[in-house]
Amino acid sequence: MKPLTITICTGTTCYVMGSGYLLSLQEQIESACSRPIEIVGSSCLGLCKDGQYGCAPFVQIGSTVIAEATPEKIIETLKQQTARNPMEQI
Amino acid sequence: MNNRFFIEVDCARQNKHGQGAPGDVFLSQRDPDEGRIVCVLADGLGSGIKANVLATLTATMALKYVRSDMDICKAAGVIMSTLPVCSRRKIGYSTFTIADIHPDGRIRMMEYDNPPAVLLEGPTVLPLEKKSMEIQTAHLGPRPLFYSNFRAGQETRLVLFSDGLSQAGMGRPKTPLGWTAEKAVLFLREQIRRLPNISARQLCRAAVTEALRQDCLEAQDDISCAVIYFRRPRRLLVVTGPPIDSRKDPLLAARVAEFDGRKVICGGTTANLIARELGRTVQVDLSFLDPEIPPVSMLEGVDLVTEGTLTMSKTAQLLEQNQEPDLSRPNAAVRLMNILLESDQIEFVVGTKINEAHQDPNLPVELDIRRNLIRRIVWLLNEKYMKQASIEFV
Ligand code: FES
Repeated sequence: MKPLTITICTGTTCYVMGSGYLLSLQEQIESACSRPIEIVGSSCLGLCKDGQYGCAPFVQIGSTVIAEATPEKIIETLKQQTARNPMEQI
Repeated sequence: MNNRFFIEVDCARQNKHGQGAPGDVFLSQRDPDEGRIVCVLADGLGSGIKANVLATLTATMALKYVRSDMDICKAAGVIMSTLPVCSRRKIGYSTFTIADIHPDGRIRMMEYDNPPAVLLEGPTVLPLEKKSMEIQTAHLGPRPLFYSNFRAGQETRLVLFSDGLSQAGMGRPKTPLGWTAEKAVLFLREQIRRLPNISARQLCRAAVTEALRQDCLEAQDDISCAVIYFRRPRRLLVVTGPPIDSRKDPLLAARVAEFDGRKVICGGTTANLIARELGRTVQVDLSFLDPEIPPVSMLEGVDLVTEGTLTMSKTAQLLEQNQEPDLSRPNAAVRLMNILLESDQIEFVVGTKINEAHQDPNLPVELDIRRNLIRRIVWLLNEKYMKQASIEFV
């Protein structure tokens, strides 16, 4: 199964708001949603500018933006995506 | 800026075992306009706080007098007659070595009772012609002083050390007379032979560590070693912040690409813009994670890419606290500090475009913080670490 890319923002605002912690959760997330994932870091995603997308830290999975990201929110989003689009797994 | 060579000055020290205050004091000051450097190594009588006071007084006076162009011999006389007298031993005494260094390599040196200073060209010892003269002291009668006047060339090092280094290990079965100055010099030569570009910083630390080893890790006296290294400057370019006018982006990128030396970019936005201009990509490197400092990124042709504000504030703090870069915890701030300390001439190019990416409603304040932060870093590098650092706003 192709690993799904999870982009975690490591820009200043997101890091201050705790994105560093999320970077270290590869295994936990993987086992919770039982599919391979790949965590990549990114410089400021530009989402923290004007509050339009909510508050930092930001995580992006495909076209979905997760604001105030937590491990639980990431796992939930992954599960939803898998349920919605099971074919993507192949 | 004197480009012919850079003069790196560093001193390593180890307090006598069980003493909180160093009895050896090394002071060094670079005149920002002339580039002249005055260094003093003083070793106060005894150890601990009393010795520290004597040595500090001596070193401070020497630095002041020599900088104000008082004749170096006269300065020595004044110092020796003004030192406070120890109530028990009835003498006020501190040895000293003063080196007055001109940016073109001319050196005037005055030595009083420290082990003789050594001039090394690569690993070879160069003979120094030292004139002996007598100076009247208040409590010890006439004492000999050695004056020398010489020129240091490219790749030479002037090494000063206290007797705590040459006498390390004294009285031990293997080294009844201590390590000795001769063996210490052999050690220095060996280090240089093995690592011809060894920095002043590394060399003085290596010598002190070895002396401490001779003392079986419990220093019997204060151990100090100072190295003054004349060499080709190591250049570093630090770019942080996008230029105020985005039409200047290509220029900035070209400057990074063409710079002759090491390169650092602080700030994700800046890194992205340089990468875009050069047709390269930036990749965040997650191999080392730190809870406080965002990870570094990789960009072809650039030695270090870090996040901006958090990393630079931490680096400023580390520089302020005079901490050794702890490479066992190689977060971006430690790596930035390390690369700064391994350079001599450092150019900061600071873009003044307001970083619209931050949530702070007082955007201009953020820019001010960044500017002040960099000013602080530059000040620390110049004043505390004897670098030649400059800032340019674009
Ligand atoms: S710092 Fe994460 S979106 Fe700006």
